Amino acid sequence: MTGRSVVSTDQAVRTKAGERRAVLVWQIAFGLGALALWELTGRVFGSTWTSLPSQIAQRLLLWGGTDLFRHVYVTLTEVFVGLALGTVAGVVAGLALGRTQTLALVLRPIIVTLYSVPLVTMAPLLILWFGLEMESKIVLVTVVVFFLMFFNTFAGVQSIDPLLVTTLDLMGATTLERYRKVIAPAAMAWIFSGIKIALPYALSAATTGELLGGSYGLGTLLSRAGSQFDMTGLYTALIVLLVIGILLSEGVAFVENHLLRWRHVAE
Amino acid sequence: MEPVSAALPEKINFSGVGKTFFVRGTEVQALQPIDLAVRAREFVALVGPSGCGKSTLLNLVAGLLQPSEGSVTYDGKPVQGLNFRVGYMTQKDTLLPWRSAADNIGVSLELHCRSVSKAERAERIAAMVDLVGLSGFENHFPGELSGGMRKRVALARTLIYEPETLLMDEPFGALDAQLKLVMQDQLQRITQDRKMTVLFVTHDLGEAIAIGDRVVVFSGRPGRIRAIRDVTLPRPRDVFRMRFSEEFSRLHEELWDELKDEVVKGTDI
Amino acid sequence: MAARSATSMRVRAGDGQPQGGFTALVTSLPGLIIARLLILAVFLLFWEYASGTLISRFWVSAPSAIFGMLVTWFTDGSIWPHLEATLLAMGVGYLIGCGLGVGCGLMLGFLPMVQRIVMPYVSGLYALPKIALAPLLVIILGIDIPSKIALVAITTMFLLLYSTLDGIRDVDRDLVQTLRLMGATRAEIIRKVLIPATLPWIFTGMRVAVRYAFTAAVLGELIAANQGVGYLIEANAGLYDATGVFAGVFIIVVFSVAMTELLTRVEGRRAPPA
Repeated sequence: MTGRSVVSTDQAVRTKAGERRAVLVWQIAFGLGALALWELTGRVFGSTWTSLPSQIAQRLLLWGGTDLFRHVYVTLTEVFVGLALGTVAGVVAGLALGRTQTLALVLRPIIVTLYSVPLVTMAPLLILWFGLEMESKIVLVTVVVFFLMFFNTFAGVQSIDPLLVTTLDLMGATTLERYRKVIAPAAMAWIFSGIKIALPYALSAATTGELLGGSYGLGTLLSRAGSQFDMTGLYTALIVLLVIGILLSEGVAFVENHLLRWRHVAE
Repeated sequence: MEPVSAALPEKINFSGVGKTFFVRGTEVQALQPIDLAVRAREFVALVGPSGCGKSTLLNLVAGLLQPSEGSVTYDGKPVQGLNFRVGYMTQKDTLLPWRSAADNIGVSLELHCRSVSKAERAERIAAMVDLVGLSGFENHFPGELSGGMRKRVALARTLIYEPETLLMDEPFGALDAQLKLVMQDQLQRITQDRKMTVLFVTHDLGEAIAIGDRVVVFSGRPGRIRAIRDVTLPRPRDVFRMRFSEEFSRLHEELWDELKDEVVKGTDI
Repeated sequence: MAARSATSMRVRAGDGQPQGGFTALVTSLPGLIIARLLILAVFLLFWEYASGTLISRFWVSAPSAIFGMLVTWFTDGSIWPHLEATLLAMGVGYLIGCGLGVGCGLMLGFLPMVQRIVMPYVSGLYALPKIALAPLLVIILGIDIPSKIALVAITTMFLLLYSTLDGIRDVDRDLVQTLRLMGATRAEIIRKVLIPATLPWIFTGMRVAVRYAFTAAVLGELIAANQGVGYLIEANAGLYDATGVFAGVFIIVVFSVAMTELLTRVEGRRAPPA
């Protein structure tokens, strides 16, 4: 579109691109500067508490050669299995209860209660029931995700514009076509936004469970390093977790931008 | 072309049709009992202040509502359940936000009961896009379109499956003055060509006269018919110039006298 | 009874909603309350019955035992230090976090260039589950309340930073332009437009953050602490005492519900007059 535009806009586009490049340079400079400052202050004033970026990099290489990937694998498995189970159950329950108003009315206090309680604090109970390994963390993630997806779906079902359905009905759509052309695409939108909301919670729940105990997982790695006062190990594990957090949130944003492009263009 | 012959059969008939709603336990009469007959291929414009029950009339023909009294017949048979022979363009454009303009326009042709080949669908969508002047915007989502463009998508979507009767609820209300004229012009051409029957709700008297074969003026709530006039201006009409014609001015003046009391009475229009 | 509900079903079928005797019961307020209490009673009775018969008490304890433990905690006063610790960590951390978040948010909001450079790093850090910082904070600040305060403050800070920035971004540009044309200085625009327009966003952020602050305090105590409700739960879990765990969880539930209720009220009062 910009290719054939008049000179002035062309220039505007070019300066904008130039500005963006300048910002990117500054961003990288800021990051590198912060790292350099960290390294420098650590070397000058001692690195007992802060460790050093260079030591962290070495540790990362060392762990990369041993079982870092197993820890990552365990954490991600807990996140994704829990996410899948919780999403399916939450959507089904949300659809069911969203359509039976009476039951929803009676169960309202329970729903409200469960909504206000931070369910991740149930971790010790679940560990008591399901043990220290992956099972308890998967259950924890499932429970947390379930309720988020449930509320999202419950609200979503009631937000479908009945006029959209009527319009298709008047064209002669069958019940199946009504589901395929209106309900399902609309549901996709809220299910997806639910997953986007639930993903950070899932990672947080898995980490919490692992911090409380276990033999593998990034949370376990963290608590082990912590109990040995191994600052370098602690920072290394935090950085790995940080990268995973970023990748997950970027990944879901990327998928959303492609699947639900129509929602973004409205703004 | 001559105005639609009075000999054509009756398409829609309202006899003693009234509608009462219950709003939080209290009865609200939306429509006083009215009688109105619409012939096949006739273009009837309903004009009146907001909240006078014009939309209720359309809902009754579409079978979305049942009358509280009297009966609505379509082709001589009472309307029961949804009336699949009408195309309904509601006041609010009910576009599917996750479909592009073109896919919205073609949605009816994907349905089993109206299904056509993919090639034919693409061809008809292209023709419609062209007709309503949306070329270049086929792949935009409703969220990317202006209010006027969305209205045009909704119009194209209603026209594409060529329903024999069109129900239109203030379809051009949101458009700017020029575009409105262009759309009126296209609408009268299409409905003439395809021999459609039209019930057209508007609050713009000029628009009603410009495109209607008959103008029905409604009073404010509860709705009731205040005046009915035939518009004998020949078709196809030039909606751009006809506003300066003598008959247009005469009708406008005459009907405005009927309408203005209602407008003043009604708090909103 | 069955006949009656069948009739009512048929009579109201026209409304498009299936209606049975159950519906008829819950449409009246006393009926609704009775239905709700009934569900609760059935649940508690079943739990009490199942415990020790269907499933070992070791796993699920029993409502009576949990109630007994709660009574003990409150009568001998052993619960108060824990409640105090949790609320102190939550309250102090919340206030610090709000201050830092709003401060940083306003600063970044008024310095758009700095914001563009720093924000990728901020949102990157935000993607880290805050609870993962607990071991680090415990090493640096100790196992006592300060490490919990820090965790709560960090959690709250991010939320307030984002809501403040959202608020500044939401300020009507035309309004700012108009004032600038009237000759307003930068300081005047900040004082008369930006801050008042951002305040509702900050308040919303503060309201949302209360729950997160509570969660952060409890989670921090779960991971490593020597007092607090979270510590109480984790200590009992360590002893494999399901009764103690449930009693602790019950306190969290009651506190959360009360908090939500309170915040909903505050929200209602703050709503602008129609």
